[in-house]
Amino acid sequence: MRSTAGSTSLREYAGATAGVLVATALCLLLRSRLATVDVAMLLLVGVVVAAARYRLGPALLATALSIAVFDFLFVPPYNTFNVVEPRYFLTFGVMLVVALTLTRLTARIREQAEAAAEREQRTAALYAMDRELADAGALSGLLKTAEQHLALVVPGEVRILLAEEIRGRDGRPAWPTGGMFESAAARVAASWAWELEEPAGWGMPRGGEADALFAPLKRPGGLLGMVAIRPQDPDRTLSENARDTLLALVDLAAVGLERRTLAERGERARSEVEAEQLRTALLSSLSHDLRTPLASIEGAASSLLESPSKLGGENERELLESILEESRRMTRLVTNLLDMVRVETGTLAVHKSWQPLEEALGVALLRLEDRLHAHPVSARLPSDLPLVPIDELLVEQVFINLLENAARYTDPGTPIEISARPENGSVVVEVADRGPGVPPGEEEAVFERFYQANGTASTDAGAGSGLGLTICRGIIRAHGGKMWLEQRQGGGASVRFTLPLSGPPLDEVPAEPVT
Amino acid sequence: MAAPTPLALVIEDEPHMRRFLRATLRGNDFQVVEAGSAREGLAQAAGRNPEIILLDLGLPDKDGREVTRELRRTTKAPIIILSARGQEHEKVALLDMGADDYLTKPFGAAELLARIRVALRHSAIPPEALEEPLLLAGEVSVDAVRRQVFRGKEEIHLTPTEYKLLLTLVRHAGRVLTHRQLLQEVWGANFVEQTHYLRVYMAQLRHKLERDPTRPRLLLTEPGIGYRLRVA
Repeated sequence: MRSTAGSTSLREYAGATAGVLVATALCLLLRSRLATVDVAMLLLVGVVVAAARYRLGPALLATALSIAVFDFLFVPPYNTFNVVEPRYFLTFGVMLVVALTLTRLTARIREQAEAAAEREQRTAALYAMDRELADAGALSGLLKTAEQHLALVVPGEVRILLAEEIRGRDGRPAWPTGGMFESAAARVAASWAWELEEPAGWGMPRGGEADALFAPLKRPGGLLGMVAIRPQDPDRTLSENARDTLLALVDLAAVGLERRTLAERGERARSEVEAEQLRTALLSSLSHDLRTPLASIEGAASSLLESPSKLGGENERELLESILEESRRMTRLVTNLLDMVRVETGTLAVHKSWQPLEEALGVALLRLEDRLHAHPVSARLPSDLPLVPIDELLVEQVFINLLENAARYTDPGTPIEISARPENGSVVVEVADRGPGVPPGEEEAVFERFYQANGTASTDAGAGSGLGLTICRGIIRAHGGKMWLEQRQGGGASVRFTLPLSGPPLDEVPAEPVT
Repeated sequence: MAAPTPLALVIEDEPHMRRFLRATLRGNDFQVVEAGSAREGLAQAAGRNPEIILLDLGLPDKDGREVTRELRRTTKAPIIILSARGQEHEKVALLDMGADDYLTKPFGAAELLARIRVALRHSAIPPEALEEPLLLAGEVSVDAVRRQVFRGKEEIHLTPTEYKLLLTLVRHAGRVLTHRQLLQEVWGANFVEQTHYLRVYMAQLRHKLERDPTRPRLLLTEPGIGYRLRVA
C-alpha cells in the first residue's frame, strides 16, 4: 500500500515536470511572436494543468519550475535568475497564487470523490449484508452470513460469539480456549470490549497490541454477543475507512441478530397464546362432550344394576346397547382430541413408508363397514397408481374421518366416491359426496377446530366433534401435502388432498411370471 | 386340545381392565390367574404353567420386551399383548420376539375370545391339515399338494412368490404376522427391511383373490404391524 502510494506521487512529480518542460518548449518555439506577458500566460497553463491533475506537492514543483524557467529564459537579463524590473515579481506571485488556489480546489474535489466512492463501497457492503441477513433463515445461517461479510472487509478468521456463550456462571465473560483467544493480550482486549461495550484489540485505540479485534454486538436492549476477528496479517494496519466499514457491519449484524431474537420471541408468544386457546377448547370439549355419553352410560348401568327383575329382556338389551354405543362414541372423541393435540402441538410423529394407497383405504373401509352400509361407496384407484410414502396409520385415520363425515352429513342412499390420480409429483386423492355441501364461503372454515355445520350442535346425536377435518389437514400437512374442500358440481362436497411422492428412492420390486 | 378349563394368566396393572378380563374369561370357561405387575406375572407363569398369557404392554415395573423375553424362557404358552393405540413399534418388537398376537384397547369380548381361540390352536395349522384342499374365507381354497388356488371353481394362477406368501399366511391362519416375519419367511433374511416388496405382492394377491381389493375379506391388513389371514 505504502509503496503504491510512493510510486503514484513519483509519477505525479514526473508528470508535473514534464508539463512544465512542454510549456517551456512551446514558449521557446513561439518566442519570436510572443510578448513576455504571453509567455507567462502559457507557462501558467502548465501550472494550471499540473494543479488540476496532481496533488499539492507536484503542483508546487510545477509552479516553482515555471517561475524559474520564466525568470531564467524569458525575463531580462536573460540566462540569469536576476530580476531587474520589479513588476515581474508580481507575475511570479500571480503564478504562485493561481497554482495554490487550484491545487486546493482540486484536492477538495478529489477528496470528495474519494469519500463518495468509499461511502458507496460501504453502503454496498452494508446493503449486501443486510439483504443476505434477512434471507439467512436459521440463526446459524445468520451468523455464518455475517461472518462471511465481515471477512470480506478484513480477510482472516471471523467468529461471532453469542452472549449466552460468553456469559460465564459468575456473570464474568468466559472466553473460549485456544484459537483467537489463545494469547493473554487477546483475552484482555476481548474483556475490555465486553465490559466497556466498545471495540478493542487489533487496529483499535484500546488493546491495539492484540492480534485480534473484538467488537461487541450492542443494541439498546443490551449486548447480544461479540465479533472476534483475527486478520491473516496482524502487522497490517487497519485503515480508517476499513475500520468504519467494519464497525458499521458489526452494528448491522447486531441489528440482524436482534431482529431474529425478537421474531423468535414473538413466535414463542404466539404459540403460547395458541396453546392456551387449545387448552381452553379442550377443557370445554372435555367438560361438555364427554359428560353427555358418560351420563347415559351411568344411567343405563345403574338401572340395570338396581332393578334387574323389573326390566324386560328387550329393555335390558336396549340399555346395554346404549352403554356400548356411548362408550364407543367416547372412545372416538377421546381419540380425536388426542390426535388433535398431537397435530396442533406439532408432536405428530410421521413414520412414512412406500405403499399402495389401496391398503390404507381398505383398512378404513373395513373399519367403517357398519357406518357406511347406507351409502354406495365406490373406490376408483387406477391400477398403475404409484406407491406413496405415507404413515399408514395416519392416512387411514384421514380416510376414516373423511368417510365418517360423508356418511354423517349426507342422506342415506347417496353415493360416496373415492378416487386418486398422480399429478405433478404427487398423488391427488378425492373423497366426494352428494350431500348438502358446505355453505358457500365456508370451504376454509370447515377445517377450523370445533367447526360445526350450521344448525347442528355438538350435542346432537349424530354430530361429530368438529375436529375430524382439522386433524385430517394436520396429518396431510405433516406429510407435506395440502387439503382443501371444493363444492361439487351437481351438489355435494369434495375434499381433496395431495400426498407428495418424495422420499428416499425405492429399488424396483422384481416382477415374476405366473407358473 | 387343552384341558376342559384352560388356565389363563392375566398380567395387567389396571384393576378395572383385570376385572373385565376376569369376568369375560370366567364366563367362557377359563380359569383365571391374575398378576398386577411384571414380577408377579413372571412368577405365576413359571409356577402355574398357564395355557395362555394376556400381557399388558405398559406395566410399571418392567419393559414389555424384557417381560416377553423372560416369559419365553419359562413357557411356550401363547402370549397375547394388550396395548393402547399408537404403540405399534412396541407391538411389532414384541411380536417379532415371540409374542403370538395382540389386541388394541378398547376391545370387545368377541374379539378377545377369537384371538385366544386362534392362539390356543398353537399358532400354526398342522401340516397334515394341508394334505387336503383347504377352504379359506371369501370362497378361496388352497390345494397345497397340487399347488393350486381357487376362487369358487375358478383356478387362480399365482406367481411363485405370491403362492409362497399366501401359503405362509395360511399356515398361520387367524394369527397376525409382522412385515418382518413375512419378509423373512417368503423372501429371506436379507429382505426383512424391504417392506414395499411385501406390500406390492400383497396388493397383487388381493387383486387376484379378493372380490373387491379395497375391501379385503381374506387378506387383512393390520396397520403398522403386518397382515392376518382371516379364518373362515
